[in-house]
Amino acid sequence: MADRSHIVKSYEQELGQLRSMMAQMGGIVENQVALALSAIADRNEEAADAAARQDPEVDQLEREVESLAIRLLALRSPMAGDLREIVAALKITGDLERIGDYASSIARRSLRIRMPENQISLSGLRSMGRLVQENLRRSIDAITQQDSNRAMEVWHSDRAVDEYYTALFRELVTYMMEDARNIRACTELLFIAKNLERIGDHATNIAERVFYAVTGDNLPSLRPRGAPASALTVAETMQEPDVR
Amino acid sequence: MVLVCVALAGWVLAVWLLLRQPRVPTSPPDDYLKPVSPADLPVDPLPACAVVLDGLGAIVQVNEEAASQFGETVGAILRHPAARAALSAALRAPVPASPSGSSNRGDLPPVCSTTFTLDVPVPRTLHLMLRRLPGGKGQDRRVLVVLTDRSEAQAADRMRMDFVAHASHELRTPLASLSGFIDALQGAAGENPVMRHQFLDIMRQQSERLKRLIDRLLYLSRVQAHEHQRPRDVVDVADLMAVVLGEVAPRFEQEGRTLKLEIEDDLLVRADEDEMVQVLLNLIENALRYGAQEGDPLTITLSARRAASPDDRWPADGGVILGIEDNGCGMEAHHLPRLTERFYRVGAPTDGAGQGTGLGLSIVRHILDRHGGRLRIASAPGKGTTCLVWLPPAGATLAVSLVE
Repeated sequence: MADRSHIVKSYEQELGQLRSMMAQMGGIVENQVALALSAIADRNEEAADAAARQDPEVDQLEREVESLAIRLLALRSPMAGDLREIVAALKITGDLERIGDYASSIARRSLRIRMPENQISLSGLRSMGRLVQENLRRSIDAITQQDSNRAMEVWHSDRAVDEYYTALFRELVTYMMEDARNIRACTELLFIAKNLERIGDHATNIAERVFYAVTGDNLPSLRPRGAPASALTVAETMQEPDVR
Repeated sequence: MVLVCVALAGWVLAVWLLLRQPRVPTSPPDDYLKPVSPADLPVDPLPACAVVLDGLGAIVQVNEEAASQFGETVGAILRHPAARAALSAALRAPVPASPSGSSNRGDLPPVCSTTFTLDVPVPRTLHLMLRRLPGGKGQDRRVLVVLTDRSEAQAADRMRMDFVAHASHELRTPLASLSGFIDALQGAAGENPVMRHQFLDIMRQQSERLKRLIDRLLYLSRVQAHEHQRPRDVVDVADLMAVVLGEVAPRFEQEGRTLKLEIEDDLLVRADEDEMVQVLLNLIENALRYGAQEGDPLTITLSARRAASPDDRWPADGGVILGIEDNGCGMEAHHLPRLTERFYRVGAPTDGAGQGTGLGLSIVRHILDRHGGRLRIASAPGKGTTCLVWLPPAGATLAVSLVE
C-alpha cells in the first residue's frame, strides 16, 4: 500500500510539475509581450533586445512540456479531466510559443522603425497592446487556475481586439496617404498591429482549449466577430475583482 | 462453495479497486487561491501582503491583505520571470534545521528579493522578498513571499511625462488660436468694433476650453495617482444616484429631455463615492452632448441592478451593473474600442464634439480600473448608446474594511 501511495503522489507531482512549467512559460511570454510593447511605445532598445533574448528559453520549455506530457500520457494513463488537461497543455504550449515568436518579431521590428518628424500617434497601438496584454494575462490565469469563466471572458473580448486592428489599419493608411515619407514607418507599424492581433488570436485559442479541458465541452467554432455594429462590444478590459 | 465464491468475488473487487486507485488521482481544487486550513502557517495576521508558495511555484496560501491589495493579479505577479528566478534562488538556500523555526537567527535562510513592473491591469511596480520556510519532510520546500507595491514613485514619473506629452499636443491648439487672435486685435481688426466683439467671444471660448482641459488633466492625474489602491468604503448605490440626480436635474429641465430611473433596492458596492459620482456624471454628460439630435426628444435611462449570476460576459461572482442608456444618434462600431483613449473624439473637432476635452471616458476608465470594475459600451448609428458599468460586490473583504 505504501508503494501505491508513492505512485499516486509521484503522478500528482508530475502533474504539478507540468502546471508549474506552463505557468513559467506563460510568465515569460507575458514578459516578452510587455517588453516588445515597451520597445515600440517608449523606444526602449534594451527592452527589444531582452524580448528577443528570451526566445530560446521559451522553445526549450515548449520541448520540456511536450516530453513531460507525453510521458504522463504513456506511463500514467490519465483519465477524464486530467487527460483533457494534459492534452490541452500539449496544444497550449504551441500557442504560447507562437505568442513568444510574435513578441520577439515586434521587438526586432521596433528597432528598425525610423519615426518621421511629424509625429505619428502611437496611442492607438499602445491601447491595443494593453488590451491584448490583458487578454493574454486572463488566458494564462485561466490555465493556471483551470477556470472556464475566465476563459469565456477572453473568448468574448477577442472581438474588441479585431475591431482595434481594423481601426488602426484605417488610421495608419491615412497617415500614409497624407505623406509618402510616412510609408516606411507605417508599414512596420501595420505589421506590428497585425502581430498583436495574432497574439490576441492565440490567447483566444488558449481560452478555448482551457474551456474544453475544464468542462469537456467545446466552445462554438465560430468566434464572436467584429462585424455586427449593433452588438455589444468590450470597450476596455479591466482589472478583475478581488479574490475572496 | 458459496463461501469460496464470495471470497473470490471480494478478492477480485479489492484488486480492481486497488488497480483503479492510481488512475483516478484527486485533482487539486480549482479555487486554489482560497484555502487557509488551520494546519497552514498563520499568514493572515501578518501586517503585510504575504503568499506561501510550494517548491514548484504553485500558490499554497494567500493572506487577506494580499488578496485585498492585489486581487487576482497575484498569479500574474508570481509567474513573472523575475519572481520565478527569485523563487529558485530562495530554494537553493540550505534547509532550515528545525521545523519550528530556528532559535538562532544566524541559521535563517537568506532573503532573496527582486523588483519588477507589470503593465496590466494597472501599471504597477512590485518588490518581492522571498525566504525559504522551515518545515518537516515534504513541507520543507515552501517559500514565504512578501509583496510590496512600489508604484507610487514610478507613477509620479510617468505622470510628469504624460503631462508634458499632452501639454505639447492638446494645450497648444487653443493657445495658438488665442495668440493668433491677439495678433489680429492688435492689428487692423482692433479698430473694428464688430470684429473685436466677435474675436473676443472666440477668445473667451478658447480660454474656457483651455481651463476645462487643465482641470480635467489635473483630475485625471489625481485619479491615476492612487489607481493602485483599491477603495475601501462601502457605498449604497441609492445614495450615489441621489447625489448624481441632484447634479444633473437642472440639465433635464430643457424641453425634450427626459431622465428615467430604474434602480433596485439595497445595492452595496465597495467604491469611492466621489469618483463613482464622477463616472456617472461623465457618462450622462456624454449622452447629453453627443446623443442629442436636433428636434428629436432625448431620453436617458439610468439603471442599477444586480448582475445575474449565470452571465458569462461579466466576471462570475455577482456584482452590480449600472447602466446609462440613451436613444440618441449612436456611433459607428469602429469608434467603440478607442473611446477610452485620451483625447479620442468621435467626429470632427469643429462640430458640437469640439466642446469636449476627450478626457471624460479616459477618466471613467481609470476610475473603474482602480475599482476593479468593467466598462462596456454598445452603440449603433441611429440606435442610441448604452454604457454598462460593472462593479464588484462589496463582498467578503467588507468585513475587513469595516473593522478598520
